[in-house]
Amino acid sequence: MNSTVPAIRISGLTKSYGETEVLHGIDLEFASGEVTCLIGPSGSGKSTLLRCIAFLEEATNGLISIEGEALGFAMGPGGNRIRLPQAEVRAVRSRIGMVFQQFNLWPHMTALGNVAEALVTVRGMSRSDAEARATRELERVGLGHRAGHYPAQLSGGQQQRVAIARALALDPRIMLFDEPTSSLDPELTGEVLNVMRQLADDGMTMLVVSHEIGFAASVGSKIVFLDQGKVLLEGSPTEVFGKPRHPRIDQFLDTYLDRGAATLI
Amino acid sequence: MSFDLSIIWQNLPDILAGFWTTCWLWAVSTAGGIVLGFLVAVARRYGGRLIASVLGVYVAIMRGTPFLVQIFLLYYGGPFIGISLTETPTGLIGLVIYGAAYFSEVFRAGFEAVPVGHIEAAECVGLTRWQTVRRILLPEMALLVLPPSVNIAVILIKETAVLSTITVPELTMVTSVIGSQYYAFVEALTLLALFYWFLVEVTGRAGRWAEAKLSRYRFAN
Amino acid sequence: MSWKLFMLLVKASGLTLVISGVSILIGLALGFVICAGLLSGTRGLNRAAELFVSFFRGVPLLVQLLLIYHLMPALGINVSSTTAAIVGLSLCTAAYQAENLRAGFGAVPRGLLEAADMCGFSHFQTFRRIRAPIALRLTLPAIINEAVLLLKASSLVSVVGIVELTRMAQDLASSTYRPIPIFASAGLLYFIICAIVAGIGALYERRQKWARR
Repeated sequence: MNSTVPAIRISGLTKSYGETEVLHGIDLEFASGEVTCLIGPSGSGKSTLLRCIAFLEEATNGLISIEGEALGFAMGPGGNRIRLPQAEVRAVRSRIGMVFQQFNLWPHMTALGNVAEALVTVRGMSRSDAEARATRELERVGLGHRAGHYPAQLSGGQQQRVAIARALALDPRIMLFDEPTSSLDPELTGEVLNVMRQLADDGMTMLVVSHEIGFAASVGSKIVFLDQGKVLLEGSPTEVFGKPRHPRIDQFLDTYLDRGAATLI
Repeated sequence: MSFDLSIIWQNLPDILAGFWTTCWLWAVSTAGGIVLGFLVAVARRYGGRLIASVLGVYVAIMRGTPFLVQIFLLYYGGPFIGISLTETPTGLIGLVIYGAAYFSEVFRAGFEAVPVGHIEAAECVGLTRWQTVRRILLPEMALLVLPPSVNIAVILIKETAVLSTITVPELTMVTSVIGSQYYAFVEALTLLALFYWFLVEVTGRAGRWAEAKLSRYRFAN
Repeated sequence: MSWKLFMLLVKASGLTLVISGVSILIGLALGFVICAGLLSGTRGLNRAAELFVSFFRGVPLLVQLLLIYHLMPALGINVSSTTAAIVGLSLCTAAYQAENLRAGFGAVPRGLLEAADMCGFSHFQTFRRIRAPIALRLTLPAIINEAVLLLKASSLVSVVGIVELTRMAQDLASSTYRPIPIFASAGLLYFIICAIVAGIGALYERRQKWARR
């Protein structure tokens, strides 16, 4: 892989729901191996942006490429956007792993089943090979001993770690995290953040939407601050959080004082 | 297959009489079922252990056996224990006893579904017990019990047809008799089906309309 | 009431079980087809399925049975009254099962399907491995409930002359002049059958570990 090709390139991206435009022309690039934290007040469009990158939402305008390959839409010869066939979407998207706020583990499968399922169904591995691989992934997130448990029998933090293992089992080049700790009790966020920190140390390209300011400041190599559907600031944690600070950042930090921002103020 | 509608016009008075019987049987049994069902639900909640378990058995029996068997037992068995009624009162009583069991379950669920916190909140702001029932419990319950009550009302419309088996002169009975006299079952029964379909659809729509009207009370999560 | 009479009722309830069982299975299969119509994006299919459900839920089963019983010969289809009864019961219960299934499919959280999407599942794979199994398990209580309702409703086929439990009770009651014990016994048999079916459903549901919270 040519290292000058960005992991993700977004250009001129807009997203509207009916009449309301929630993202107004986003241009961003994320390099390989970079951990980017998308922060911003609620309603700023960060989750929508992440869902567009996962192609769970189709952008109204603009283009996204993953490691140089067009995702979902490409520019046609006449300068108009054309929708790519679903098979191509799936191929490009297979480089992306996604972790959801609500975990979204399949309730009728065990932790092991959740991780092994796509290896069998999508990758065509044998059940036993898939389960061996799934076991390794569960061990990696510290849940080897919970393989036989159903999601309903796991704590929120454990469920989210299984969800991370499920995404990792498919060898993604990029991991997207959509508020991975927002539906967890405060005492359970640590175990999930630790797994993510480990993943960052291993060199995974990560894009994280989160209110965990402490995590963003310590693990993030880059911070993107979204405000009202636009990129307000973009830079290293020291550039964004260091003084002198943008007044909107100050306001934002005040609101999230309890999320590890205290150390920054 | 011929489809001859003239027999309908020839027998219009009988059909209208049957229509009227079906309608009032339905209206009275629904009203009676709601009142009796409410009383059963209240008695099961506040009436002590014995009453609660006796009524629990009654509800289980009514819900666990076919209405047809219940109505046969009442109609054919009644005279043996000194209850000699003509068809129509028997049918009406049967419907009310049957419907009340289902309505009581709706009210019971309704009582249980009003959050305790709402009642505590009412007490905290100084409402008396009766005020709490009238201003908090009943309006909140109304919204909860409306959709299932409409369902049961619809079930009762359809059960009135079963009363034809004990020769209550309601619409199904009248129509079947005309069908056999003129050997025009298909015509008669098709119209009959359309009539019930119409009545059930109208009732369902009215229920949804009322629900939409009431929904401004809907719980804020 | 003699033991002999009671055993006649028990035997007759065998036919009730057969007729109901066959109708429940056909109704469930047909319910799937109707449900596909209800969920279909094609307007014509959608309308047809809605109309089917509305009609068979809006007309008393007794009237449906009488209509089918007389309509089939009129259309030149000669079948036994048992077949006509099974057709009637199946059509009616299919309408209810279709609604149950629609609710089940609607209740599968969107996020679970998005997760499958992100794991690279095709539409069909998502349906087969994720959506259908979850919807089925969510729908199970309603499906069992409808099966119990159909068991009770099958008493109405006595009207077209099938000697199942209710008709047998009627015949015995009129020949012995002892309606109370006979109809009470018939009621008891229905009650037991319904309780068993509901019990099996509850047992199966309790075995589903994943539903436990």
